[in-house]
Amino acid sequence: MSRKVLVVDDEQEIVDFMERFLIRKGISVVKAGTGEFAVEICKKEMPDCVFLDIQMPGKDGISTLIELRQLSSSLKVIMITGKDDVDLKEKAAHAGALDYITKPLDLSDLHRKIQTYILNT
Amino acid sequence: MESSYRKGLERVARQMILIHRADIVIKLVLRTIVRDLKVRHAGIFIYDKKHDAYIVKMSRGNTGFKIPSGFVKIKKDNPIINYFTAKRFSFCGDFILLDNIEKLIRSPKVKKDIKAGEFLDDLQTNLDFYQARACVPGFFRKELVGVLFLGDKNNGDKFNTKDLGFLSTLASDVVMAIKNAWLFEDLSRQIEVNKRLFLQMISAFVSSIEAKDKYTRGHTERVMMYALSIAEQLKKRGELSNRNKFVDDLRVAALLHDIGKIGVPEHILNKPAALSEEERDIVREHPAIGDNILKGVDELEMVRLGVRFHHERCDGLGYPDGLHGEEIPLIASVIGLADAYDAMTSDRPYRKALSFDEAINEIKKNKGKQFDPKVVDAFLDYTQETNNKLR
Repeated sequence: MSRKVLVVDDEQEIVDFMERFLIRKGISVVKAGTGEFAVEICKKEMPDCVFLDIQMPGKDGISTLIELRQLSSSLKVIMITGKDDVDLKEKAAHAGALDYITKPLDLSDLHRKIQTYILNT
Repeated sequence: MESSYRKGLERVARQMILIHRADIVIKLVLRTIVRDLKVRHAGIFIYDKKHDAYIVKMSRGNTGFKIPSGFVKIKKDNPIINYFTAKRFSFCGDFILLDNIEKLIRSPKVKKDIKAGEFLDDLQTNLDFYQARACVPGFFRKELVGVLFLGDKNNGDKFNTKDLGFLSTLASDVVMAIKNAWLFEDLSRQIEVNKRLFLQMISAFVSSIEAKDKYTRGHTERVMMYALSIAEQLKKRGELSNRNKFVDDLRVAALLHDIGKIGVPEHILNKPAALSEEERDIVREHPAIGDNILKGVDELEMVRLGVRFHHERCDGLGYPDGLHGEEIPLIASVIGLADAYDAMTSDRPYRKALSFDEAINEIKKNKGKQFDPKVVDAFLDYTQETNNKLR
């Protein structure tokens, strides 16, 4: 059965890149440009995993994370963070984020995390 | 085919002379590759000191995929980098071709060598991340500065020796452009550091004068602040040409305007009463002494004008040279007003400070007499703009 992943980032280019990367691994992808939209999508159909940008205008990554986890406490959320988002990373961990990937992304690292959290479960 | 390559290379070489910004050269090179080599996409990893890794700076292509600039990195121990730097295996050469890597993986020799096999598998996986068919390194001396990566050719052809030669040349061009840009950035940073050092040295120097003259403590800082604020207003009124240089000189001149007081005896500077005529004459020497101190510093020519003439008056009654009106350099008029305002609003042993309103009235009264009218107007603009915060 094909896995489904939601990618949430306010930068279109990044969402598109992640989509192509995931599709090539046989994963189906839904995309959201805002936290609000991400929550709407998850209300309709829960994905297997979410890649969630920690810094977004409007509803930020942490509030989005909290709402998503309220919808499903078992939802796997991997935050997309910047190198210097130390405090935010800690907050995300407290709010139930499973792991994070740091921008600029190391695709080997991303590949490993996709294997661990999405494909091998 | 060959002549189109040569044309492409010549075009890049010509542009390189005109363009000093690395990002523009990279864009040009990638565009040349995509167009002349007819590949689906091309991109470049460039070493980045801050991350100590190679970052995808740009990637472009008509079809195929595009990596957002700065979004992806490869670490120094990534096989794509290691292939060119560590060269742990005999097959590591001057370029990577996916076809060759796949052939190697199937070869009996590699099948026996577990380490080589692992390395090649890892390399293949990484090439696949970027859908890279070929990679070409760009070295500066022995340092790997960047790696070009290319997708499939549009017509499905393989890369040939000529293609790789063309790519190698372009990779060196990019590296050269990046090296130049880095050099330029380092230089600009160094200039900033020196400039800061210079100003801090001057400030330290000036505190030694202020230590001697206890009534003027903090005076220099305030005069500089007022002078720069006046310059800001003169700028708005369009009265400044070559303003960056003017402001730089003004900052230094304001800091140094009283440097000549080092030649005035301490008992006169610190006298707790009004000065005698004779003592006043001695104090009046300080602008010329200051000018003389700075005589040996070539770069401070304009600064010296500010130091020497900051006690001149429009009506010619100032000192040391009794200049009139327009003869007084603007830099000196600005410091003169800033200096006078601060003196008026500071306590002296023999008189109390004037209030803000009294000082402003005094300045208005002396517009065109002691003070340059356009400098007075700029100063009044400043006090109004700051909502009379000086009050």
